[in-house]
Amino acid sequence: MNRLQTMSVALIALTPLAAQAEVTICASLSVTGPAASLGIPEQQTLAFLPEEAGGQAIRYVVLDDATDPTKANTNARKCVEDEKADILLGSSTAPTSASVAAVAGETGTPVIALAPVTVDAAVEPWVYRSVQKNALMASALIEHMQKTGVTRLGFVGFADAYGEDWLKTVTPMLEAAGIKLVAVERFARTDTSVTGQVLKLVASAPDAVLVAGSGTPSALPAVGLRERGFAGQIYQTHGSATTEYIRVGGPSVEGSILPVGPVVVAPQLPVSHPSRGIGVEYYTAYVAQYGEGSVSAFGGMMFDAGQLAAAAIAAAEGTPGTPEYRMALRDALEGLTDVVSVNGVYNLSADDHYGHDQRSRVLVQVTDGAFKYLALD
Amino acid sequence: MRTPLLTFLAAVVLVLPASGVLPAFWATLLNMIGISAIVALGLVVLTGVGGMTSFGQAAFVGVAAYCSALLTTRYGFSPWLALPVVLVVTSIAATLIGLVTVRLSGHYLPLGTICWGMAVYYLFGNLDLLGGFNGISGIPPVSLFGHPLLDSRQFWPLVLVMLGVSLYLTRNLLDSRAGRAIRALRSGTTAAEAFGIAPARAKLAVFIYAGFLAGLAGWLFAHLQRSVTPTAFSLNAGIEFLLMAVIGGSGRLWGAVLGAAIVVLLKNALQDYLPLLFGSIGSLEVIFFGVVLVLTLQKAREGLWPVLAEHIPQRRSPVDEIATALAMPVRPKGEGPFLLEAIGINKRFGGLVAVNDVSFSLAKGEILTLLGPNGAGKSTTFNLLTGVLSLSSGEVRIAGHSVAGASPSQIAGLGVARTFQHVKLVPEMSVLENVALGTHLRGDSGFLRCLLRLDRPQEAQLLAEAARAIRRVGLADRIHSPADSLSLGETRIVEIARAICLAPRVLLLDEPAAGLRKAEKNRLAELLRELRAEGLGILLVEHDMDFVMSLTDRIVVLDFGTRIAAGLPDEIRKNPRVQEAYLGSVA
Amino acid sequence: MDSTIALFLVQDGLINGAIYALLAVCFVLLFAVTRIIFIPQGDFVAFAGLTLAALEMGVAPGSALLLVCLGVACALFDLAGLRNWPPAGWLLRRLGAYLALPLVLWLGVRDLAPMDLPVWADICLTLVIVVPMGPFTYRLAFEPMRNASILALLITSVGVHLVMMGLGLLFFGAEGYRSTPIWGGTILLGPMMIQGQSALLMVCTLVILGLLWCFFTRTLAGKALQAAAVSARGAELVGISVETAGRRAFVLAGLIAAIAGILIAPITTLYYDSGFLIGLKGFVAAIVAGFASFPGAVFSAIVLGIIEAFAAFWASAFKEVIVFGLVLPILLWRSLTNPHDEEH
Repeated sequence: MNRLQTMSVALIALTPLAAQAEVTICASLSVTGPAASLGIPEQQTLAFLPEEAGGQAIRYVVLDDATDPTKANTNARKCVEDEKADILLGSSTAPTSASVAAVAGETGTPVIALAPVTVDAAVEPWVYRSVQKNALMASALIEHMQKTGVTRLGFVGFADAYGEDWLKTVTPMLEAAGIKLVAVERFARTDTSVTGQVLKLVASAPDAVLVAGSGTPSALPAVGLRERGFAGQIYQTHGSATTEYIRVGGPSVEGSILPVGPVVVAPQLPVSHPSRGIGVEYYTAYVAQYGEGSVSAFGGMMFDAGQLAAAAIAAAEGTPGTPEYRMALRDALEGLTDVVSVNGVYNLSADDHYGHDQRSRVLVQVTDGAFKYLALD
Repeated sequence: MRTPLLTFLAAVVLVLPASGVLPAFWATLLNMIGISAIVALGLVVLTGVGGMTSFGQAAFVGVAAYCSALLTTRYGFSPWLALPVVLVVTSIAATLIGLVTVRLSGHYLPLGTICWGMAVYYLFGNLDLLGGFNGISGIPPVSLFGHPLLDSRQFWPLVLVMLGVSLYLTRNLLDSRAGRAIRALRSGTTAAEAFGIAPARAKLAVFIYAGFLAGLAGWLFAHLQRSVTPTAFSLNAGIEFLLMAVIGGSGRLWGAVLGAAIVVLLKNALQDYLPLLFGSIGSLEVIFFGVVLVLTLQKAREGLWPVLAEHIPQRRSPVDEIATALAMPVRPKGEGPFLLEAIGINKRFGGLVAVNDVSFSLAKGEILTLLGPNGAGKSTTFNLLTGVLSLSSGEVRIAGHSVAGASPSQIAGLGVARTFQHVKLVPEMSVLENVALGTHLRGDSGFLRCLLRLDRPQEAQLLAEAARAIRRVGLADRIHSPADSLSLGETRIVEIARAICLAPRVLLLDEPAAGLRKAEKNRLAELLRELRAEGLGILLVEHDMDFVMSLTDRIVVLDFGTRIAAGLPDEIRKNPRVQEAYLGSVA
Repeated sequence: MDSTIALFLVQDGLINGAIYALLAVCFVLLFAVTRIIFIPQGDFVAFAGLTLAALEMGVAPGSALLLVCLGVACALFDLAGLRNWPPAGWLLRRLGAYLALPLVLWLGVRDLAPMDLPVWADICLTLVIVVPMGPFTYRLAFEPMRNASILALLITSVGVHLVMMGLGLLFFGAEGYRSTPIWGGTILLGPMMIQGQSALLMVCTLVILGLLWCFFTRTLAGKALQAAAVSARGAELVGISVETAGRRAFVLAGLIAAIAGILIAPITTLYYDSGFLIGLKGFVAAIVAGFASFPGAVFSAIVLGIIEAFAAFWASAFKEVIVFGLVLPILLWRSLTNPHDEEH
């Protein structure tokens, strides 16, 4: 432990330490604050991550950033400077992940973000993601829209980075697909009423509405739309892929369609899906510990991050705690191919630090109060 | 720097983290402390000294951080070139918001700061120019002699220097004419106005200064984090800065540093140890800070610095009484025989007539007493003469000039000084500082001059003048005592000393002898006679008949707001109406 | 925008406005009696809604345990403040209120919650759990600050809000909850379709405001509170101490907040931190009314609700900017029309 203690301890710390035997993975997660419903399952997944890889023991440290980018920055510094982290994980949202990534780039530490964060070219070599690109997720939805003949789409998204990213992602894709975006509305996580937005959506007569929110709040527009008699399809994003969303939305969210990582419906996946085996394993273990319906896409992202890190550790040579080792880990991460995890198969390369393909997302529909796998073809 | 020890400590703090001897994370924490302390310092001046609570200071940090981010990423400014622009922009923003905010009275002010704190956060998040809720990243680091300050250890000296500059400027400010004016506002504006301080201007100046410091912190923040997002400048951040100021001691310079250090270090410690104690990580930190805030307010309302400072011996620089005397203030020449005339003045509150058609006049070198039972309208008359209340009808002339509609500070500018029935001193200021408030109109050092310590020669003159007045009223041995340690009688004398410092033509004394012991009364009477001999006109409101009768030249008797008699003391003593209305009731 | 949409927006504004009105009345009441600007008011609303939702799901709500914690803290505060041994009756009453009541509630709720209770029973349980939090909070945070300035009380109140929000996350978790409507039907009124729960909310708000009015003008206890609101001396004259008046005001505020929470829980999703924004808007309404007039507070709350509804329709991204931005000019106008408000 290398905490803030007395001067004498600090001075002792100056003497060169014996080569560390274990690899340190340090995560900054949004366990509290607005993104707590993402951070909590991520934190809970910690127990299911590999304890060693390639003969090296792995030590995990988790810090809470309260969904605050400033704190995420401090956490990342603490990870690198205080905990001597070899790999960073996190954070749960794009703005907090950007903070962590900035420190990662500055200190030369590889980071696996759990949010689709965009960073500068200078920092990019150090940043990997175990989350699907919004574009990948959106493509599944748009495919479904085209198949079912949706031509007019209404959009209502979070008034934050998440909603903003989704809007930016889908706008050109919709245009290319010939779907008209007829209304764009915003709402906040803590809004008690979205009547104004819903009225405006309904007034623009869309065939379907896309709600871009995360966690339970995204149920509110769905409820409002149904109350105002909207009968069209309601699409949600993967941010809402928690059973809490169904619980809060009740009958109003029945039939809504979401793109998710395969883990959410692991037991329902076709046998041919590569993630089925490892997915069911994680799914069963998680359910055993946290109860039926507790599995969310977010925990899956953390699990994937763990798998990627472990694969990189197994491949990298060097002494943990040194810049050379971190560089080796980075190189190893960039070279990973065919890493099968619960959210698909990762093939990372210098151009692609997401590494996902079509196998990393499936569509699900809320049917009888549960997520049901929805085959796209 | 106050002592060699402090200088030594500063050197240690500067060199150690930067040298790479200490763990880098210490430097990270120190940077956080330093930047927060600069914001908290602004709050110390704003809240602790100026009495204006702001929950919205993070908004100014945000304005500055965003401004610098925008200039450096989009328009290719270097951070150093951006700094002056950032400070100007933040000051302008503070001026605009301040123009509205400082006019809010009482508790509306903090509520207003909550509201703009919220509004600015949502504004940041919704402007495409500012990158929306994702903010702006890729901000370049500050370079020093061609070296980019990337690491927190390299950045620390910069933070320390900026903090040092902020502390230096703030100390200069508080220890000056402008600072006294600000400090006087905390305990109400009536007394401050009576000595020529314009509260709205002083408050605005403080508000802008606090915004300026927040701007400096915002610039540092932007180039330390090298990315900005709205969340960092939300209301919660504003509350945290206030928490620092309150915990450290919202009235004290070093309280800001102490508070910032406590909050940042505690946060870090809580993050380390709370999970060990309670298992799950979660919301315990915010609960803890809430409890700390409430307990601080319950147990140590002035914060923790005063508790610590008790053990640090205070050194006081002696007042240089031989500084060149202040020039006499330039005032409009007196016209006519009287210094002060009330001509048929009236004051009605709704249906109640408090002062009814009262006239009197006061000549040079004369002591006039207003006499009357409680509720006769004496204090109301005082407030009418000094512009605290506006006349319903009638006219007040000072040295022949009509002062209809003039503010208390304008009337003070004409050479009218007063004391208050309910003593209005600033309790936490020393006798010297309180009395020096009286010299406010005789100096002209503005905010900037005071900040940069260019006011020293004049400040020495002002303090010397105050010290002379204190010696003259016989309180030389209490010159450095805080005002709240004095007896009631002494505070009345201090008020008189403060009034004398204005170099008044007219002195209005509201019950100066109340609460004085016999010997003190005699000394006071002696002083008043001296002043009369110097040509002052003195208007007294007094209950103590023995004190008045031996001293006053003439008496005006009021009852129920109406003048019932006027004349020499002996005539009044014999007047049957007066005996009935006043003397009878006393006896 | 056509008239139907406008009508819906007005309806939406009225619903939100009604909740803000209830809170605004609490703010005015508490400020008048205790000089406290009670920011955590909204947190109680969220707590009540979450408690009800938990009971409906058959789970013992965390708030019951929270009440036990608060009670223990109150008892400790009381005992620590004792100089000599108190009369047995006093001790029993205090310990009964601070220790026995929460404990009995907690144990009872653990057994009752899994049973399929009728709605009214859930509501009653919610009330008895949430209402005592008002006076308990007063005892813990504000009673020790008898002579503090309004500003010190305000900052304390922000501190209490931080604690409440943290406790909310601890006891209720990060997820949102929504309870089932007490009345699920709909009313058709011309082109308007009004949800039963919304109608119920507005009727209840009117009834509560009416009852409050009766309480303050017709009953002795209400008049005593009003007297206390005028001045501490007024309170002494009618024979209640400042503390008693404060406690009663907090009971009343807790009650109104709890009812507001119960009414709003089926209409929206509540989170542990939803209360702050709801409270802040009630509080804005109270400010606009100058913290003095009950009818003024109700009126401004409803206007605020309607402004918010229309802002959400026209410029949803800037809704909060509009609502909070509007406050500054109103505050300014308040200060200028009420200039010599020098209280220190």
